[in-house]
Amino acid sequence: MIPEALILVPLLTGLACLLAKASPRAVRTLAMQGTLATLALAVLLWLVHMKWLAIDPLTARSLLELNLPWIPALGVSLHLAPNGLSVLMVLLTALLGVLSVAVSWRGITQRVGFFHFNLLLILAGILGVFQAMDLFAFYFFWEVMLVPMYFLIDVWGHENRHYAAIKFFLFTQVSGLLMLLAILALYFLHGRSSGAYTFDVARLVDTPLPSPVAFGLLLGFFAAFAVKLPAVPLHTWLADAHTEAPTAGSVILAGLMLKTGAYGMLQFLWLLFPLAALDFAPAARVLGVVGILYGAMLSFAQFDLKRLVAYTSVSHMGFVLLGIFTPNELAWQGAVMQMLCHGLGTGGLFILVGYLSDRLHTRDMRAMGGLWASCPRMGGAAMFLAMAALGLPGMGSFVGEILILIGVFHVSPVLAIVASGGLVLATVYALWMMQQVFHGREKVRAADLRRTELGVLAVLIVLLIYLGVYPKNVFDTFNSTIKHSRTFNSLMQQSQIEDP
Amino acid sequence: MMTRDLLALGPMLITAGGAVVLLLALAVCRSHAFASAWSVLVLAAALAAIPMTWPGAPASGDLLNLLAIDSWALAFWGIIFGSALVVCLLGFEYFRPLAVQAEEFYVLVLLSATGAAVLAAADHFATVFLGLELLSVSLFALAAYRRDQAISIEAGIKYLVLAGTSSALLLFGLALLYFHTASLRLSGLAGPLLAGHPDTIALYAGIALVLVAMGFKLGLAPMHVWTPDVYQGSPAPVSALVGSVSKAGAMAFMVRLAGVTLTGTPGVRNGVFYGLLVLAIASMFTGNLLALRQPNIKRLLAYSSIAHMGYCLLAVLPMAAGAALDRQAVFYYMLAHAVSILGAFGCVCAASENGREAQHVEDYRGLAWRRPVLAGVFSLMLLSLAGIPLTAGFLGKFYVLASGVRNALWLPAVCLVINSGIGLFYYLRVLGTLYQREEAESPDQFATSTAPSALLQPSPQLLLTHLTLAALVVLLIYFGLMPALASLPM
Amino acid sequence: MNIPAGHVMIVAAVLLATGLFGVIVRRNIVLVLMSLEIMLNAAALAFVAGGSARGADGQVMFLLILTLAAAEVSVGLALVLQLYRRFKTLDVSAAASMKG
Repeated sequence: MIPEALILVPLLTGLACLLAKASPRAVRTLAMQGTLATLALAVLLWLVHMKWLAIDPLTARSLLELNLPWIPALGVSLHLAPNGLSVLMVLLTALLGVLSVAVSWRGITQRVGFFHFNLLLILAGILGVFQAMDLFAFYFFWEVMLVPMYFLIDVWGHENRHYAAIKFFLFTQVSGLLMLLAILALYFLHGRSSGAYTFDVARLVDTPLPSPVAFGLLLGFFAAFAVKLPAVPLHTWLADAHTEAPTAGSVILAGLMLKTGAYGMLQFLWLLFPLAALDFAPAARVLGVVGILYGAMLSFAQFDLKRLVAYTSVSHMGFVLLGIFTPNELAWQGAVMQMLCHGLGTGGLFILVGYLSDRLHTRDMRAMGGLWASCPRMGGAAMFLAMAALGLPGMGSFVGEILILIGVFHVSPVLAIVASGGLVLATVYALWMMQQVFHGREKVRAADLRRTELGVLAVLIVLLIYLGVYPKNVFDTFNSTIKHSRTFNSLMQQSQIEDP
Repeated sequence: MMTRDLLALGPMLITAGGAVVLLLALAVCRSHAFASAWSVLVLAAALAAIPMTWPGAPASGDLLNLLAIDSWALAFWGIIFGSALVVCLLGFEYFRPLAVQAEEFYVLVLLSATGAAVLAAADHFATVFLGLELLSVSLFALAAYRRDQAISIEAGIKYLVLAGTSSALLLFGLALLYFHTASLRLSGLAGPLLAGHPDTIALYAGIALVLVAMGFKLGLAPMHVWTPDVYQGSPAPVSALVGSVSKAGAMAFMVRLAGVTLTGTPGVRNGVFYGLLVLAIASMFTGNLLALRQPNIKRLLAYSSIAHMGYCLLAVLPMAAGAALDRQAVFYYMLAHAVSILGAFGCVCAASENGREAQHVEDYRGLAWRRPVLAGVFSLMLLSLAGIPLTAGFLGKFYVLASGVRNALWLPAVCLVINSGIGLFYYLRVLGTLYQREEAESPDQFATSTAPSALLQPSPQLLLTHLTLAALVVLLIYFGLMPALASLPM
Repeated sequence: MNIPAGHVMIVAAVLLATGLFGVIVRRNIVLVLMSLEIMLNAAALAFVAGGSARGADGQVMFLLILTLAAAEVSVGLALVLQLYRRFKTLDVSAAASMKG
């Protein structure tokens, strides 16, 4: 009931935006209404999941699940069944959806209808990815969101947009096809061993896989997820795409599209290939730590403000990768927290950079400086977001990073110590950015934030602080997934056996 | 011949008879509108007759020495007649402003569709040759149909020489097979191949020549050299015909041939398997790499179709096992490819003005802001060729990949993945050109250009073309979401 | 005199090769068409040879090939006329503008 509505509402709103014979203003209003409705549905989904599921499981399930046969001959069904992790991601998506319509209000003046069509189509695709429990449907949504994102970058982007758009599309598409190969192999292996051909995750879990095969399949999935995440050797598309995309595009890329990679790892890799993932985890953790340090250093080396923020994503998502491949509850909770906070925090930074470059018509930090004097509100907001990026206690990202580090420490103290170096580097780049742009000699002046602009950023900042001081809601929601996860329980037992 | 046989032949008799009647009628009175309406009617009738004939004739009777009218053939007849119907619809408004007499175009389209249909159902060397010649001869007449243009004649001549050569090679190959097995029937090959006749050089040479000839028809590398020239020089509706009807007929026969030879003696089996494997991989890379920097949209589509035939061979390779899934994969791939390539050339037709074809990629710069609906349709077709979900091309690629993975053909499957990546470069290049914004444009200009009221109304001269494209889009999305046709028993 | 079928096949193969050679090296379109014709006839001869010991099947194929080859060549000659009208030459290399 709710899952399909979550996909249909943005989809239909998007079509209406494209086809409506309306003024740009009316289109924007329509898109805003659509995303607000999506947000309301997402909150409803969360409430049903948290409250109703315990009281009346039967009715709640019927609200939370959709299982329609799609291609019966192949055992493909449109199976949407959000669990705790999905619910959190859906909430983040819906929220950032509203904000990206809001930030495009003034920035996008050309082909408004087509812009919002693409924006809402991406949201629909991402919401599908976060809810699909059928691998075919998952792959379908996974690919479907690429095309509108391509248009978003290619049509409304900055100077180097064609290159960035093609690079983005290419990286994600090819890695996605590797995942498709793995999905197909899993499908046939399961079908041969059980006689039932299906793409349903819940049933594919039981596939008996010889360990080299499982490892190969895991790599296929990992390739797709690692490109989106992005893990270090595959991160090169990110800086270009983020930098060239319009503000709303950057927000969606950083806030949501990167999360689909992390979500896939957390949701599917452990579930489908628990043993292979355990074997692979040390390598993935090293990749994560490399990402943390390398991303932070690259980001320090940038003069383009948007590029700087883009590279902080590599660093932050390195933490997520590290957390995901550390099989204990602390690290996983931390990874989920970090995903949410990165979505909010980096989304906020991109919005801020968007406001700044709208005013100054440049993103070069060397041309900026002393902006605090002319725009104190912007400076204040930037300060908050920078603190969130560097993981100041009281901000959600602090909770996430510290939980990941504690979790990793149980498994590999050395990696935890090296990774915490990332926190130091984060302080360096965040403060350096603040110093370059807002402090020092006053090189430029600009108009301060308008009230609506401040409102957008305030929403993000309040949420970041809320997650920092009261993370219980997130933990409870995700817990509902962990506690029911057979894989997780068996992993816990294994690590307990190994521990002493 | 019995009623049963006549019924089975129904769709083909309708098109063949329709062509003859049209030819006679044109001797009495020439009318473009009549010729076009008649051929559309004939092809629609042929299409409608297919479900009535389904699932084909029982496997006995005189007729069936020559033709195997089974569900496989009938399914491909669906692609062939449907594509020919679309070509006729596109041709009407394409030829109307031109000085050439357009009526015979329809006769030739009907004949080529009949030829492709014969080829798709051929089970006897005589019908293989008959079908192939009927198809080729009409096609090179069609390729040269725009006598007002030098490149059209050039395309016709090139196609004549290459198709003639490939027919002769095919025939010689068939003669060698006949010499070896003493059977003129394709399915008759299976017995001698299995029964351990000693393999002779005649057998190997025969099979090789037939494969080479079919490679010519399908445009597989390295026999692909004619493809770009013919696609570029022919009138756009004819290029669409070459990409859909001719490819479908040849692929249907290729699968029959592979089904027989891949179950043969180990020597034959390995030879054919590795031969097809090399052709498949070579076609994928050749097509995609040559398309990368291609500035002419028709040549680009030609190179893309070379690569697509390479992809499709991935599902032909495991034909020995004879599983329905692999046949269904080939069928669905050809169906999806036909819809996409027809749509793409339909867009070329729609973008052309007064007989000047919009051949250059640059002609399409910023099309999205001048004619957004057309650009949207073109984007969908390109995305389908690139195999992106929501479109038929995605499910086609999915089925082919599934067939490859199921049979553990990892090398060609991985090649397909790599080539999908290479292919994206040029599809996205064209796509990007469509949506390129003109920098000098002022905001208020834009406001008028997005008012959809003016844009949703197609220009009256191209009403039929636009309606055809709309129907193709519906099919493209439908086949991309609901692959019911892929589950036909084959 | 009894000629083994295999020998006839060899003659046919030589004819085929001759025709193919002609198609490749000849510039004059009429000669190219003639070479095509030689190739088709080589195949027809091969059918006759292949079927010599087994009834009339091969000879039926020969008739079929003869007819269809005539059809092909007649359409081909029509194209030759067009080529001549447009380029005032029978040299196929005149019609080689498309590249890429």
